[in-house]
Amino acid sequence: MRIQLLAAVAIFVLLAAVVPVWAHHSFAAEYDGKELITLKGVISKVEWTNPHTYIYLDVKDASGKVTSWALEGYPPNTLKRTGFPRDILKIGDEVTATAYKSRDGSNTGAGREITFADGTKKFLGPVGN
Amino acid sequence: MTRHLTGLLLILGGTLAIPAAAQYQRETLASTAAKAPNPNPMPRTADGRVDLSGTWQAGGVSINGEPGAPPLHPLPPAPVRPPARERIPYQDWAAARQKTFTVLDDPTSKCLLPGVPRIVGMPMPMEIVQTPKEVIILYESFRAWRRIPLDENLKHPDDLTPTWMGDSVGRWEGDTLVVDVTGFNDKTWLSGLGSIHTEKLHVLERYKPINYDTLLYEATVEDPGSLTKPWVTGSVLRRPIDVRIEEYECIENNPDNEHIQKAMEQQKRAGQK
Repeated sequence: MRIQLLAAVAIFVLLAAVVPVWAHHSFAAEYDGKELITLKGVISKVEWTNPHTYIYLDVKDASGKVTSWALEGYPPNTLKRTGFPRDILKIGDEVTATAYKSRDGSNTGAGREITFADGTKKFLGPVGN
Repeated sequence: MTRHLTGLLLILGGTLAIPAAAQYQRETLASTAAKAPNPNPMPRTADGRVDLSGTWQAGGVSINGEPGAPPLHPLPPAPVRPPARERIPYQDWAAARQKTFTVLDDPTSKCLLPGVPRIVGMPMPMEIVQTPKEVIILYESFRAWRRIPLDENLKHPDDLTPTWMGDSVGRWEGDTLVVDVTGFNDKTWLSGLGSIHTEKLHVLERYKPINYDTLLYEATVEDPGSLTKPWVTGSVLRRPIDVRIEEYECIENNPDNEHIQKAMEQQKRAGQK
């Protein structure tokens, strides 16, 4: 049973990798789906826009330097339909997010999952491919 | 290097195509947490005609869930699978031209209309509005709509000018809605990267009700200008739970092509070093 479940998950992940994840542009040409980074920061701006949402995080490094990161996410309607309401994102809140880094070298990523201070987790965007 | 880059982009762009079988399996797996099949019969109009009115969706995380995480409203398993995925049977010139495109050329990356049959596979819902004389399909994606007058002879108007979504006319064959689409421009893609066609494109669609939750969508694509034989594609349309189509203003905030352009230039520079 456990093996079947693991096999099902493995197949699912494999298939997810070939199914298109964005409606309107190529994920893989823009982001490195193999490199998932983790960012802890403070929400500085939210763009609840189409074709994608953007969440901006101020991320402080060990030396105290703050860098702004932009994380692209599912369109607003998709987030809403997956149980991710707009008002859960509050400017000034500290969150931890995982993301696939942009191939253009900028501080941009395709957001995958966001964890809020109370431990709530939500998917921001698709699994990388 | 350029050839390598083009090759890479071809592979990357291929992810835009919808692998129908994979999509079916994904739906099935996602539905393992679903309830028993919906016992509701397919709705019918007062005169006994099957009624396709309602919201339908071909895929996407909102109905399929994430890997390892079921969707908010799981659907019963689909009792049918889409047509097997076929490679588009291009004539030599079209196959050669297909290789010249990058993902930046994809009309939908600029928020332009996807055409038919590509629009049907988008991971966003559409609404079918059925009346005795015509069927209207409203698509959330790309603000698209189609008006499909019903006519036994599938006769199109004589004054067609090529358009992105073409001209549709339909008729009932039993419970299946058959739609003939022609009058396309040559600016849309059929499916994946560089899947071009000519203005001779002609699509015959079949919307076959399987049960309350499920329509089987099949499209036979003909284009004597670019294909060597008809190409069959399709998907399984599901009736999502508690979903209505909403606004999707695609052009609002779309910096992706700029990012992709920069990424391509950087990869090119890295390759030249």
